[in-house]
Amino acid sequence: MSHFDEKDLLKLMKLSKIECSQEEKDRFYTALSRVVTYIDQLTEVDTEGVAPCNHILETITNVMRDDEIGQTLSRDTFLSNAPSHVGGMVRVPPIIKTSNS
Amino acid sequence: MTDIQYDLWQPVIGLEVHVQLNTKSKLFSCAPNRFGDEPNTNITDVCTGQPGTLPVLNKEAVRKAVQFGLAIKADVAHFSKFDRKSYFYPDSPRNFQITQFDQPIILGGMIVAEVGGQMKTFPVNRAHLEDDAGMLKHFSTFAGVDYNRAGVPLLEVVSEPCMHTPKEAVAYAMALKAIMEYLDASDCNMEEGSLRFDANISVRLKSEKTLRNKIEIKNMNSFSNMEMALESEIRRQIRLYTQNPHEDINNIIHKGTYRFDPEKKETVLMRQKEDAEDYRYFPEPDLVPIVLTSAYIEEIRKDLPELPHDRFKRYTEELSLPASAAATLINDRQMCLYFERALKTCSNAKNLCNWLVVEFTGRIKESGKTLDQVGIKAEHVGNLVNMIDQGTITGKIAKSVADDMVANPGKDCKDIVKENPDYQPLQDTSSIEALIDQVLSENAQSIADYKAGKTKAFAYLIGQVMKLCKGAASPAMVNEILTKKLQ
Amino acid sequence: MYKLSATELKELFSKGEISAKEIAQNTLKRIEKFDPEVGAFLHVHKDRMLQKAESLDKKKQSGEKLGSLAGVPIAIKDNIHINGTITTCGSKFLSNYKAVFDSTVCRLLEEEDALLIGKTNLDEFAMGSSTENSAYQKTRNPWDLACTPGGSSGGSSAAVAARFCPISFGSDTGGSIRQPASFTGIVGFKPTYGRVSRYGLVAFASSLDQIGPFSTTVTDTALVMQVISKGCDRDSTSIHAKTPDYLAALSPSLKDFTIGVPWHFLEQLNEDAKQNFLASVEVYKQLGAKIVDVDLDILSHSIAVYYVLATAEASTNLARFDGVRYGVRSPKATNLEELYDLSRQDGFGAEVKNRILLGTYVLSSGFKDAYYKKAQQVRALMIQKFKDAFLKCNLVMLPTAPFPAFKLGAIQDPLQMYLQDVYTIAANLVGAPAISIPSGFSSNNMPLGLQLIGPQMHDKEVLSAAYAYEQATGYGKKIPAHFDKEAL
Repeated sequence: MSHFDEKDLLKLMKLSKIECSQEEKDRFYTALSRVVTYIDQLTEVDTEGVAPCNHILETITNVMRDDEIGQTLSRDTFLSNAPSHVGGMVRVPPIIKTSNS
Repeated sequence: MTDIQYDLWQPVIGLEVHVQLNTKSKLFSCAPNRFGDEPNTNITDVCTGQPGTLPVLNKEAVRKAVQFGLAIKADVAHFSKFDRKSYFYPDSPRNFQITQFDQPIILGGMIVAEVGGQMKTFPVNRAHLEDDAGMLKHFSTFAGVDYNRAGVPLLEVVSEPCMHTPKEAVAYAMALKAIMEYLDASDCNMEEGSLRFDANISVRLKSEKTLRNKIEIKNMNSFSNMEMALESEIRRQIRLYTQNPHEDINNIIHKGTYRFDPEKKETVLMRQKEDAEDYRYFPEPDLVPIVLTSAYIEEIRKDLPELPHDRFKRYTEELSLPASAAATLINDRQMCLYFERALKTCSNAKNLCNWLVVEFTGRIKESGKTLDQVGIKAEHVGNLVNMIDQGTITGKIAKSVADDMVANPGKDCKDIVKENPDYQPLQDTSSIEALIDQVLSENAQSIADYKAGKTKAFAYLIGQVMKLCKGAASPAMVNEILTKKLQ
Repeated sequence: MYKLSATELKELFSKGEISAKEIAQNTLKRIEKFDPEVGAFLHVHKDRMLQKAESLDKKKQSGEKLGSLAGVPIAIKDNIHINGTITTCGSKFLSNYKAVFDSTVCRLLEEEDALLIGKTNLDEFAMGSSTENSAYQKTRNPWDLACTPGGSSGGSSAAVAARFCPISFGSDTGGSIRQPASFTGIVGFKPTYGRVSRYGLVAFASSLDQIGPFSTTVTDTALVMQVISKGCDRDSTSIHAKTPDYLAALSPSLKDFTIGVPWHFLEQLNEDAKQNFLASVEVYKQLGAKIVDVDLDILSHSIAVYYVLATAEASTNLARFDGVRYGVRSPKATNLEELYDLSRQDGFGAEVKNRILLGTYVLSSGFKDAYYKKAQQVRALMIQKFKDAFLKCNLVMLPTAPFPAFKLGAIQDPLQMYLQDVYTIAANLVGAPAISIPSGFSSNNMPLGLQLIGPQMHDKEVLSAAYAYEQATGYGKKIPAHFDKEAL
């Protein structure tokens, strides 16, 4: 489990869209390997039969809102932060047309 | 060229259907849930993924999901939760979708659909809530992103891989659509994208028990396209297997995503899937679980409207409609509601159904409108059928009356008949007697047959009378007078 | 005026002895004079503050009822939104991002007539323990300008320690309020998870983040907690229980109080910190509290659990920073992949990238069970251990940090930096309210802090026990010499 290698790092960078220079890659690799080794200590803890804590506020459930239209964000405000926009849409470089999940 | 033996193979099809729920606001944001508006005008800070925003669940979406679960007799989970599904794409405001991974709100269930005159039961695997992505519009030098659709509630319904012909898949799809319409849970508009069908399809030899590699076909935007897409894909796969008999079967069909080209009438590869994408699902920490009590579920079950399958049973068993006619009505909700209204004035369901589905529909087909839109009232159609049943007009005349009803929408057939002397059945006793006398004089054998007990002869004589007067005589009177004369 | 607490300041204002304008001007002058040495602020909203002060003075003149924070100047950590103003999160990525809504906390504060000054420096996206990870500037500890003020809320902490304002706000995910409070000799409070709305706080780790106040007195802490401890309809993890009367609960004496100390877990503590901690135990004994031993050995795993869960959540929370809808987009990008990669490469600092990669790793296929699920299970065990401890005591007591503020640049190794959080992380993992109060000074005259942790929803008890200690010791009264003067 503590075998964190270069290939792993490259895969992670691709998944998380983090690019960097070779020097940075080396630094990340060193830092991450150490941290991964450190967190491997969790294997020592006996968690047989323990349900994972998925929600910290155990007693709060069913938080829902009424199906009503509320305050919207104006298009101008939304686009005022956009790096590039055209015709009311956010603009990005052209994409090879595939549909995603 | 090897001769391809298609019938040795069994297609295996599963459908994943994304249904946009027609709530007023989106699933986790209070932006309007509307189609067709100017880009980025139905947005909030939440559904555009602004930093510092948090999702809040729409209770109506939960209710509609539960309604659907009950309608397909599934298990409504007492405990379900949301998960994050990570992937980067510009139409995703947060680059993760909030969906339900391992604890969905609906489990199991079944959809009953009529296929070639027979009722078939198709098991459903699960259904869950998730939020829709925005829309990308592609141009040559850029792409534009519109977040109006981002955050719209989706109910994803996943079937078991239980369909074995394209017709079964289409029947399932239509039945699912009908349920959604009956529940008023969605606009169910395939062109607008509020109902989206993806198929997973593989083939195998009929003798095989395990499944072979499957591919995915996305975005079949009409039932006819769906049928053609599946049909062509089945043939493609069988061809490939047959033409490569010595190849490892796992190497012949490769996982990929296809779309249907309506012009070429075949499936076209969009992208190959090298590795399964790693979505890194984990429980959504910004949302708390949904815990549903039996009381809540029962409350929703009580309020369920009559569902398509139950209505189908009522039509075929109680009203004795033929299965195909019943199916046609069920699958067209507007027509069905119209039929129900007409039933209030006329109890001859079979005839009523025929006049609606065949006669009137045929007459207004070109207009592209529904009977309601054209303006013909349901009670009037009922009146028409009643008049035929009562013998007030003949079936032949009724057809002309129907033409007039279409030309003068809103006019009651009773008035049409009253105003048009040609429609008045011939009710003058002496004229009818004269007609009958003529026929009797020409058909001595029939008289003898009738007297000998052959009731068919009577019907024949009636027919001859009606032929003679070109259907103008009142059938009731002809019947009465003829009977008298034959005694 | 700089020596006044918020309670004292608002009293003067309500009596008419000082105007809101004067308060604002004084505050701004002090910051102008002294902040260049400290670097607490990223943005000072001078015009906005003066305008609000003017309106407040008019409101007072007209006889309208004043809010409970009328005239109190407050600094806000720059990962919390004020509508229409820049929120950088200490990152280059958001150097031009204007908030499009008010955070619930800021809205509540302004509804009570507080005067928001502007935004303070932080470790980028709240990831760090020294504020050195800010992409903009270093913040210095007012007690020793060569030292860090702690992190990630270093700017807010330094602002109060240097007496630029009596109250500031930070966020605490693994100790980011308490540790800086300890390093700078002030009070820092992290409420029960869910007690304060996270709407408008740029998320780092959703199940751990909480907004909380820095102040010079526990009374002031209670004063602001009264205002912000409200349920929020835009935060599904927000608690809607009635706000207790925190101020009324403050009392200099403790009745029937038992404090739990995890002696075994604290065995590794260095001598300086240990002496200080033991002295604090004595104080509580003198106040009449019973001291019992509790078993919290499981906390030795808290850093590992934290760095799995917090980074996992952060890796997804920060995915939205992609240069598409907002933030700085790389001008070199020619296609979509480059847009993502280059914008994130340029926009994020090294520590942020580190944590995103780690978070992606622990969630990735093949590793998720071993890391993420395992950590969630250990977290569940920790919750249980605390519950067990609270059967025996009202509150648990620990030092806040293993040592006082360290020199800027002294810790380069990320893992070593993480290990400092050993005493603070647990409260975030179990969602418990926790406070750091000044507990004296180290042998090199730097502030030290004492930490009290209570059961979920027992914020009132934590504040009241802290108050009793404060009244008995008076440590929080001392002001860093360099800033203990007027800005003339």
